[in-house]
Amino acid sequence: MSTPKIRLDAVSKFFGGSVVAVEKLSLDIRDGEFLAIVGPSGCGKTTVLNMLAGLEPATSGTMMLNGKPIEGPGAERGVMFQDYALFPWRTVRGNVEFGLVYGPAGQGLSPAERTERVERTIEMVGLTGSQEKYPHQLSGGMRQRVALARLMANEPEILLMDEPLAALDAQTRVILQDELLRIWGQDRPAPERRTVVFITHAIDEAVFLADRVAVLSSHPGRLKQIVDINLPRPRGDATRRSGEFARLCQSIWELIREEAYRATMN
Amino acid sequence: MSVVSSTNAKAAGPTRLGGVLVYLRTMALFVLAWYAGSLLVPSKLLLPSPLAVAAALRDTALNGELFGNALISLARLSASMLAAVVIAVPLGLLMGRSRLWNDLLELPVEMLRPIAGIAWIPLALYLFGIGHRLPLFIMFYTAFFPLLVGTAAGAAAVDRRLIAAARTMGLSRSTIMRRVIVPAALPAILVSARLAVAASWTAVVAAELVGAPNGLGYAIEYYRSMLSTPTVMAFIVTIGLLGFLTDKGLRQLSRVLTPWAQTGAAQ
Repeated sequence: MSTPKIRLDAVSKFFGGSVVAVEKLSLDIRDGEFLAIVGPSGCGKTTVLNMLAGLEPATSGTMMLNGKPIEGPGAERGVMFQDYALFPWRTVRGNVEFGLVYGPAGQGLSPAERTERVERTIEMVGLTGSQEKYPHQLSGGMRQRVALARLMANEPEILLMDEPLAALDAQTRVILQDELLRIWGQDRPAPERRTVVFITHAIDEAVFLADRVAVLSSHPGRLKQIVDINLPRPRGDATRRSGEFARLCQSIWELIREEAYRATMN
Repeated sequence: MSVVSSTNAKAAGPTRLGGVLVYLRTMALFVLAWYAGSLLVPSKLLLPSPLAVAAALRDTALNGELFGNALISLARLSASMLAAVVIAVPLGLLMGRSRLWNDLLELPVEMLRPIAGIAWIPLALYLFGIGHRLPLFIMFYTAFFPLLVGTAAGAAAVDRRLIAAARTMGLSRSTIMRRVIVPAALPAILVSARLAVAASWTAVVAAELVGAPNGLGYAIEYYRSMLSTPTVMAFIVTIGLLGFLTDKGLRQLSRVLTPWAQTGAAQ
């Protein structure tokens, strides 16, 4: 493997001086890989993502992106937030085009190209016909798709996603998992794929989507193990039914079972 | 299509009419109580009957005094509100978003804010004399603080996640201010504008009472000195009505400008 896209070296994050959210996390994220991070609640998954996004500094350790230290947010790292963070005063279209209109992602695009990309992205997430609606007029699943479209329209190099499919019903979730893999580029050769860091609490989702699954332990958040997922691509329904898929889910579940029980019982 | 719209019209019709009827009934009760009161109070100077006030309203409306003075007061209110918005809203945004600006302005603001605008009238009389400038200053002063404090609170309360989302899209600080903070704080700004206008109306009378040669407040004071209570009450009613109408206008404005933030719209 070539140099990593993102390198975390002994990254720790303390809150209020004493609460340890993440402890000595070292992790290389490769260019074009789909990395899922799973772990019980309290393992600092969201904190890791916020640090990668440049929204929170690390207390210690180094975070490098393309060999340069991460010092703040940047348009090359797009984020999809757990609670969507849609702009309530903008319509579906207004949200999706936001980064292209006001941010660097739209530079060099003509208005016609911009409109074309916005409409294409809205169509991709199945929101055509709802362009003029405001977020408060949409269901939870539709809001999540708006957030996904807003992220995709900017075409960032790296997609940082915090439980992006958590609020969806089971069917929509399966459909958007397939869609996400298509957008990421599972049908294309590896060099043409984007880099995805995908946080989830759903083990089956992580196994289905990812090239590698980073399993974190909680209190404090530490890297427990990285599991390679060598299921063939493109993946689809056949993957979900395969014995290898079930075996991988089971082995990851065993890694975190004890802690998950403890977290739930407390 | 036409069937649907006609049933809609039928469904909407009685409800709207019902609302008007409830409103009229309340008003009628109030006027009746007033009328009964005026019969019990022996002096017409203390409490004139609603009929006398209605007659005074009609007379002042016909000779143009009512509209002339109302227009002058409205113009003063608009001018002082405009000035207050232009200065207080940007300052409030800075105070709400910047620690430095907040530290700089908080103390003087909190010391000036509790002082009623009318407390400045004696000083303002020396400064400005009688004319437009005194009521303009008092009304500006009265409108300024609700706007400033409301805007600062609105700007400080903007959802951090929205700002984070804009930052991850690479927006500059000034673009985030214009495209995220301002629209997100707009509902709060509009609420504080309603408070500012209402406060400004209360200041109109006091400021024009002493410091102006015309306007609704001046007219009230003039007819008081003429012992014409019905006309005084006619002008008081006019202020109440104008206050109600300007507030209704502002509420309509918030509905148009912030359709996403209306009550009933689930977040």
